Amino acid sequence: MVSDPRFDVVVIGGGHNGTTIAAYLAKCGLSTCVLEARPECGGGQENTEVSPGFRIDPHATYLYGGAAPGFEQLELWKYGMRMVYYQSMAGIATLDGQVANMGSRWRPDIGEESMRKNSPQDLEGPNRIFDQLGEAGTKELLRALFWTPPHPAGTEVEPRDLPWWQVFRKHMPNLWFDELVDMSYLDFLDTFVHWEPLKALNAMAAWYCGAHPAWDGMLLQSLGGILLFTYASGAPRGGMHTYAHAIIRCALAHGARMVTNAPVDEIIVRDGRAVGVRLAEDAAFPGKTVWADKAVISAIDVQHTMLGLIGRGHLDPSFIQRISDISLKGGSLFVMSVVCRELPRYHGRDEAFPEEVYPSCVVAPADSLEWVKRQTRDAYSYRRAPELRPEHLTMMICTHDPYDSTRCPDGYHVLSPIYLEMPPPIYDASGEHQVNQQKEEITSAALALLRQLAPNMTDGNIVEVFVNTPEDSEFRNTGMVGGNWYGIRQSDDQWFGNRPIPELGRYRTPVDGLYLCNQTSHPGGLCLMAVPYNLMHVLIEDGVAEPGGWWYPAPYYVPPGGSPIRAGE
Amino acid sequence: MRTEYGAHPTEHILDEFPERTRFDVVVIGGGPNGLISGAYLARAGLSVAVVERRQEIGGGLSTEETLFPGHYTNPHAFYHMMTEYLPILSDFDLAAHGLYFVRPNAQAAAVFSDSTSLVLCNHIEDSKDAIAKISEADARALGRVMRTWRKVVEEIIAPGTYLPSLPPIDMVEALERTPLGREVLRLTEMSPLEIVSEVFTDDRVRATMLYLACMWGLDPTESGLGFMVPLMIDRAMSKAQCYGGSHKLAGALSREIHRSGGIVLDNAEVTQILVDNGQVRGVACFDGRVIESSVVLSSLAPPLTFGRLVAPDEVPAEMQEAAAYWEWDKWSFATLSVVTDEAPHYRCDDPWVDDALMVLVGLDDTEDVLSHFREVAAGAMGDRLVGHATVETRYDPTLSRVPGHHVSFLQLHAPYDIEGGWDSREEEITAQLLALWRERCKNLDEANIVMRSLETPVDIERRLASMVRGSIKHGDYNPLQMGAFRPHDSCVAGRSPIQGLYLCGASSYPGGLVIGGPGYIAAGSVVEDMGARKWWEAPRFVRRYEERYLS
Repeated sequence: MVSDPRFDVVVIGGGHNGTTIAAYLAKCGLSTCVLEARPECGGGQENTEVSPGFRIDPHATYLYGGAAPGFEQLELWKYGMRMVYYQSMAGIATLDGQVANMGSRWRPDIGEESMRKNSPQDLEGPNRIFDQLGEAGTKELLRALFWTPPHPAGTEVEPRDLPWWQVFRKHMPNLWFDELVDMSYLDFLDTFVHWEPLKALNAMAAWYCGAHPAWDGMLLQSLGGILLFTYASGAPRGGMHTYAHAIIRCALAHGARMVTNAPVDEIIVRDGRAVGVRLAEDAAFPGKTVWADKAVISAIDVQHTMLGLIGRGHLDPSFIQRISDISLKGGSLFVMSVVCRELPRYHGRDEAFPEEVYPSCVVAPADSLEWVKRQTRDAYSYRRAPELRPEHLTMMICTHDPYDSTRCPDGYHVLSPIYLEMPPPIYDASGEHQVNQQKEEITSAALALLRQLAPNMTDGNIVEVFVNTPEDSEFRNTGMVGGNWYGIRQSDDQWFGNRPIPELGRYRTPVDGLYLCNQTSHPGGLCLMAVPYNLMHVLIEDGVAEPGGWWYPAPYYVPPGGSPIRAGE
Repeated sequence: MRTEYGAHPTEHILDEFPERTRFDVVVIGGGPNGLISGAYLARAGLSVAVVERRQEIGGGLSTEETLFPGHYTNPHAFYHMMTEYLPILSDFDLAAHGLYFVRPNAQAAAVFSDSTSLVLCNHIEDSKDAIAKISEADARALGRVMRTWRKVVEEIIAPGTYLPSLPPIDMVEALERTPLGREVLRLTEMSPLEIVSEVFTDDRVRATMLYLACMWGLDPTESGLGFMVPLMIDRAMSKAQCYGGSHKLAGALSREIHRSGGIVLDNAEVTQILVDNGQVRGVACFDGRVIESSVVLSSLAPPLTFGRLVAPDEVPAEMQEAAAYWEWDKWSFATLSVVTDEAPHYRCDDPWVDDALMVLVGLDDTEDVLSHFREVAAGAMGDRLVGHATVETRYDPTLSRVPGHHVSFLQLHAPYDIEGGWDSREEEITAQLLALWRERCKNLDEANIVMRSLETPVDIERRLASMVRGSIKHGDYNPLQMGAFRPHDSCVAGRSPIQGLYLCGASSYPGGLVIGGPGYIAAGSVVEDMGARKWWEAPRFVRRYEERYLS
């Protein structure tokens, strides 16, 4: 018999956060082992070649993490990190015939031209915030929002002194007023945006970049999500899985062990301390027990970690109830991928979207903000798939191949992903399998609507269609609870030190030596390398990791017992 | 020791892989052989970059979610035939990366139209038990012949796989030394049909053996490669599935490359091999990136390496010839994959058939097999089709993420050029394959099939551009393209006539099918030529062969 393998750190789950923390810790010189249930690491950073030569994006699709310290600290460039920057990131099409190309940060002229034509009064709206912040200011704001560990419990701060508000105040003194901290992005859109399709675009973008525009107190998180999208305005060469490869290869180069087909059944707890994990019987690993001398890091969602791997036997009833009640609403997606011969020509018009500046992400039908709200109500209030009428079916229709030839063969295009928001399956009023029973119905309605918007999307143009519902996403990727791409709701109740619940807000758990490193902790999803970066601060506090000179902490990091940082004071 | 590279990353909003870098060695193609070369050379202390066109490495070692969402298949190498011999498995601790092979006893079954069947097993006595139902004489013949053929493989063919080729005259001289060697020489001059006819009497047994001998590319009636019959039949009873999918072998090799300081660069199709005055200088990629190196290993076939990547005026005459006369595989494959609620259940006299790693359908006699190969070679999917089916999730349940679902396929030889073109005939050929499968299989009705997908020879080429015309072996197995002639007799041990350019792919000796020889042999030549540390030694079975036949 082979003796049980033993490492300093065992990481459960080889998705984005698990592989990234492994890279960080391996670079600190710790022996690190990642155990991944699926045959491939990367989690939501995935591109699947469903049909030979055609690659789709079932989950993550754009690079939001451009401002991450991880790119420098882990030197991902050495491991093949390459980007493709897009001339146009966003477009709008409405059912009543309006089409607008919003360009990207690399081509601001395109968006300005569209605004001049469609809504000159919006030339100075929120779309200018990026310009006003500038690249450095945007990076600082984004790092304050996402790459800052939550303050230690008991740290007293005024809302206006939260890191992101401090940075915003510093850079945008003219736009600052105290009420902002309680506002939702919708309030903001109502105040500052005039053209209805532009409101719909911004609302959709906020929703799909993290925080739904209706959620109070999340104004800057909604806007921050959009700024993450704008900041990079592009995607890794080949797709998000290439970025995963760079992280994985960095971890390997520093000696980490990455094992696939190794599902974990249990976190072994002795005297209140996590000392290792027990693998499933069919795991592909020499020993079924893997010991961890320094830490076990769970890079799967908080509910599976606590209720599944730790087990109720180690937890008190009040804690169990609150873990069960964590809200999963917010990001459950019905994802379609369409292989076609021609890109959609909205209303048969080519002039707005010529191929060299084709908008990578088109929001359509973007006729009205009310339409977006209807879909939200369907998903979260009525808890059903959206009604299959255009006024409930605003979609995000994405494509990458106009800018990245590796995605599909010449002569074809791939629209992937096309997103529609759904309730998480377990909240569906008709049962958790309902969405899969409606799969064909929803797909045909969405394609029919697409054809209404773009008459060239005929059966002859469409070669193949692939769909993953929230239920499919959950079984493909067990950590994606509810098929929610950021795991749990990203609202004020579950943000910063409240994410996923206050006791777990700083990545530590009631079990010593067990840490959380999944998107169900602050700051959520989007493959930002942010959860691992933030967790590193805590692991350094606890003496688990001792990074070298390459490490730098977040400027707004507050150590235990420390005072909150106030810029300029 | 890690060699630093690329002092100046490309900057934009984040640092990227540099526009220009320098490595000791560049390997073109991250298939099995490219990765094997890369892993040996990286551990030898050389800085290695493996450059791959696709996003996923592995080439034929691919595991893809072709039945989306949640069901994976191995569209190319779905089993591994040399796991007892592959030097990488003893030279590297790949199990540490979670790499395991499962080699079931029930290996290859055939189901006949009269419901008789046979199951060939890894345990020879079990195979004999199955054949005895049909022919007592053939059961005994199998036992007798396999005692010789297994020795042929272990003593001669497997070792020869991991050593450079010898010129034909030297090869004959070496083999003349022992009775076993002389038997190999005798078999070489026979065709597969002659060999199976000589050994077996019952036509069902002959047909089964003939199919197994020829299914990966031997012409059943051509002599000159008869030594491969013992290999293919022995290996047909020694197949192993890679647990978690064939791609895991690629992943494990890539992990070794990175642990040793090398890198794999994906989404980076090489568009040019830079050669200057007969000396390799590096490669250029489609996005303009240049990787400088005085050693380049190409895993691509001569028409690609010399016909496309090296500038014409730098291609020596003999390589122009190799590129111009290269013959791609004589046939490709069409594969119908299905997801079912119930695993396929065969209509026959032995329930063990359902457990076999592979089940042959559509054949009753040698004429079925001969006409099948004849028609395919002539460019048609004929009326008398023969194929092989596998329940991929039987021994690797990880391939389905959906509890209770089974993933299976039926694979047939298929011409690349088909009348009307593949795109227009997909539905018809899907129906044809399903009909063939259902003749032998009880429960493949529509109610049981959840999802299906057909991969054609055109799809093979589209997924893996190095498999031109769907050539899974990068080039035909015929006497003029095998042994010392693969890819050309001027290329010995992976060395090409261009200084610093090595050939390490399936189009080089000894060939394809993930036997790992070309990559291993080329790595040996590179360390020798560069004076690097040869940290590995030949496996024992290779050393024994060298002592007995080459000393």
